[in-house]
Amino acid sequence: MAEELQKPSDLRIGVFVCECGLNIAGTIDCAAVSKYAETLDDVVAVVQNKYTCADPGQNEIKKAIAAHKLNRVVVASCTPKIHEPTFRQCVADAGLNPYLFEMVNIREQCSWVHQNEKELATEKAKDLVRSGVARARVLEPQTEAEVPVTKAALVIGGGVAGIQAALDLADGGHQVYLVEKEPTIGGIMAALDKTYPTMDCSI
Amino acid sequence: MTARDTHFKCLNCGHEYDGVYDPDKVTERTCPQCRSNSVRRLPEKKATAKK
Amino acid sequence: MMDVGRHPKVELMTFSEVESITGFVGNFNVRVRQKARYVDASECTICAECAEVCPVAIPDAYQQGFSSRKAIYLPFPQAVPSAYVLDMENCLGNNPIACGKCAEVCEKKCIDYDDQDKFVDLEVGVIIAATGMDVYDPTAYDEYGYTRYENVITSMEFERLICAGGPTDGHFIRPSDRKAPQSIGFIQCVGSRSRDGRGNPYCSNICCMNTVKDTLLLCDHYPGIATKVFYMDIRAFGKGFEDLYMRSREEGVRYIRGIPGTVVENPENGNLVLTVENTTTGQLEEHELEMLVLSQGVIPRRDGDQIKHLLTLSTTSDGFIMESHPKLKPVDAPTKGVFIAGCMESPKDVKDSVTQAGAAAARASILLNAGKTRIEAITSQINSELCNFCGICAKVCPYNAILAPDRKAKKAPIIIQAACAGCGACAAECPQDAIGMRHFTNDQIMAQVDAILAVEPQKHLVTFACNWCSYAGGDNAGTARLQYPTSCRLIRTMCSGRVDEKFIMRAFRMGAPMVLVSGCHFADCHYISAVRWTQKRMDRIWSKLDRLGIRDDRLRLEWISAAEGQKFAKVMRELEDKVKSVTKEEIEFTMKVLAEEEAKAQEKKAKRQLEVTVL
Repeated sequence: MAEELQKPSDLRIGVFVCECGLNIAGTIDCAAVSKYAETLDDVVAVVQNKYTCADPGQNEIKKAIAAHKLNRVVVASCTPKIHEPTFRQCVADAGLNPYLFEMVNIREQCSWVHQNEKELATEKAKDLVRSGVARARVLEPQTEAEVPVTKAALVIGGGVAGIQAALDLADGGHQVYLVEKEPTIGGIMAALDKTYPTMDCSI
Repeated sequence: MTARDTHFKCLNCGHEYDGVYDPDKVTERTCPQCRSNSVRRLPEKKATAKK
Repeated sequence: MMDVGRHPKVELMTFSEVESITGFVGNFNVRVRQKARYVDASECTICAECAEVCPVAIPDAYQQGFSSRKAIYLPFPQAVPSAYVLDMENCLGNNPIACGKCAEVCEKKCIDYDDQDKFVDLEVGVIIAATGMDVYDPTAYDEYGYTRYENVITSMEFERLICAGGPTDGHFIRPSDRKAPQSIGFIQCVGSRSRDGRGNPYCSNICCMNTVKDTLLLCDHYPGIATKVFYMDIRAFGKGFEDLYMRSREEGVRYIRGIPGTVVENPENGNLVLTVENTTTGQLEEHELEMLVLSQGVIPRRDGDQIKHLLTLSTTSDGFIMESHPKLKPVDAPTKGVFIAGCMESPKDVKDSVTQAGAAAARASILLNAGKTRIEAITSQINSELCNFCGICAKVCPYNAILAPDRKAKKAPIIIQAACAGCGACAAECPQDAIGMRHFTNDQIMAQVDAILAVEPQKHLVTFACNWCSYAGGDNAGTARLQYPTSCRLIRTMCSGRVDEKFIMRAFRMGAPMVLVSGCHFADCHYISAVRWTQKRMDRIWSKLDRLGIRDDRLRLEWISAAEGQKFAKVMRELEDKVKSVTKEEIEFTMKVLAEEEAKAQEKKAKRQLEVTVL
């Protein structure tokens, strides 16, 4: 558990620096980044993890939110394209609005692309964390709108993939519209004689 | 507004060339020399001055 | 095929194309054009009398042109729906005086020359795209003589010639003299794994096993036929594949490692003489064969652009559709509620297509079963107090999600939250700063700019990257471990259309040597046309920089797709030198000029506010 840092502020930001095994730690000095994060205004807790996305890492986040009454969470790890949903769910489970979470990408856009420039990469990671914390300060809670899903599916293309997808959905009880450009379904497969590996007829 | 002849300048390699600009049908610009997309449409006045 | 035709829950719409798609996950509105078939498919009994009297004969595409069909035809015997179709382009005339023979003989009177295209509007919650593939045209490989020699055929043509339902009723003959060949060769990787630009660089996945299958069919049907396969590598990686490959070798098929350099026809007998370096022995060999099959590769659909645009899908560098994540979301499209399956995603065989289709259906079912979904809270919001009713926001919105303001009635625009996709073009264009984006507010982005430039600003390339393409392109560079200089400091927005002039000017004002704005190529824009506003805005900002005496080339624009990790890294390398070329004096001058500008603007604003209060 991270020691609580004393900061004169209502904002209580937690920063979680991920090593991602050696994916990040192999290039970036994560300890230096963590130490730097401690010096930033409003940051009251900093935790360094081997894998922040794994259960133990997520538990650290949840524990820190409770222990330090965090109201902003910054995770410095990989691209938000992979784990932003994971961490949003994690902070939501801990009772924090998921939009009060910010992700800093120090893997795809730092450690992996500056493997031969360890010091400069570490400096860049610090800058990115500083930027993420700055953004976190002004994040606002949001509520997601819930929209209904029309219970029907459109399948575009009546080749083997389209036919299979349409049948699976229809067998599951859903209304399916299968749109095919040609006058018949079948696609390329219908023009084949036999198909491997079973050597049976294609139609 | 209609399509008109315009002078373009690549801010990456400095290459300048003439082209057509249609404000209603904006197309992606790529410098024919260096493939950069930093292609600036020079203001009309300047275009003639430079020519 | 039959199952899907008669399934009560499937409405089959053949000879139809998707015209437009609007809406968002769970709530798509789709317009489908049902092309005129001129034959009532529900009435047609496929009695074939119409085709018998039809005087037009044209090459049958299904049979790869080896036989002919009529202008009114059944695509193939097992077609679904089981109905004739009239090919109006080749019909002598929809005027019965010109011909009209088919309508005369049709007892059920299901031929209607006046049939018209119909439009059907559908409401669906999810979309699965499975538009398939095309095959590579081997014409460019002129050394194989596909266009010159009759007995050189493609693998698709082979399928028809060996098929019992084919033009020769399954009698495998060669085209030049219609005799059964005693020897046959296959050339692999035609159009695949090519580095000379004539073909595609990727492996087409299916051609090795397709050829193995073909050799076994030949061995079964024509024992004793001499079969040779010329290859670079045989990729028999799937379940049961190695067994088939071994069986083929045991049956006596010769596998020769080497791709022929030339193919020449022997004019006397129509045989083909191949010259090839056998790379196993290092010897130059000649092989005379009676027939040659080019194992053509798989290519993305030639007519795939429209669906790509309608669903705002992107492609990987090979031209196939990009999935949301290559490992974790292989059948999800980046557009929520859209899934992909089959060869549209990458070349694959029947089994893999079926597997992927099942996965796509299961993923789609999650949404359908839940009956509801959440929309990310990144939509645009208006502060009507700041609005001056100019209406620019409504004009730039790619989704028509903003109802234009009414200047006379002093009614601010209304943003339809459900229709807003969150690109932020309206927020960036609003001259009054009356529009904000949830979770991508001005304050949040400005805070990032300031923080980046708080330490050693002169060393940093401030980069704005759109979520879908450029940011993903940067990730792509990372995944591929492409190395580039460390100067880049990236700020993610949903779309480059969000990048406000203010953000750029703030970066220069805070001492940035260079600013890069990057987004999707126009064709890939995830917000239909929002990226066009980015380019227009850049012209405006470049002019402003000119006016202020700031070098315009310190502000850059690059379109980088999610697949262009290479380009991302290249741009970063190129801009590194430019960052260094900006002098300290230049930066100081810029900061001074922009500080003055800022002061002036603030003065103006204060004055205006004063006027308002006085009024």
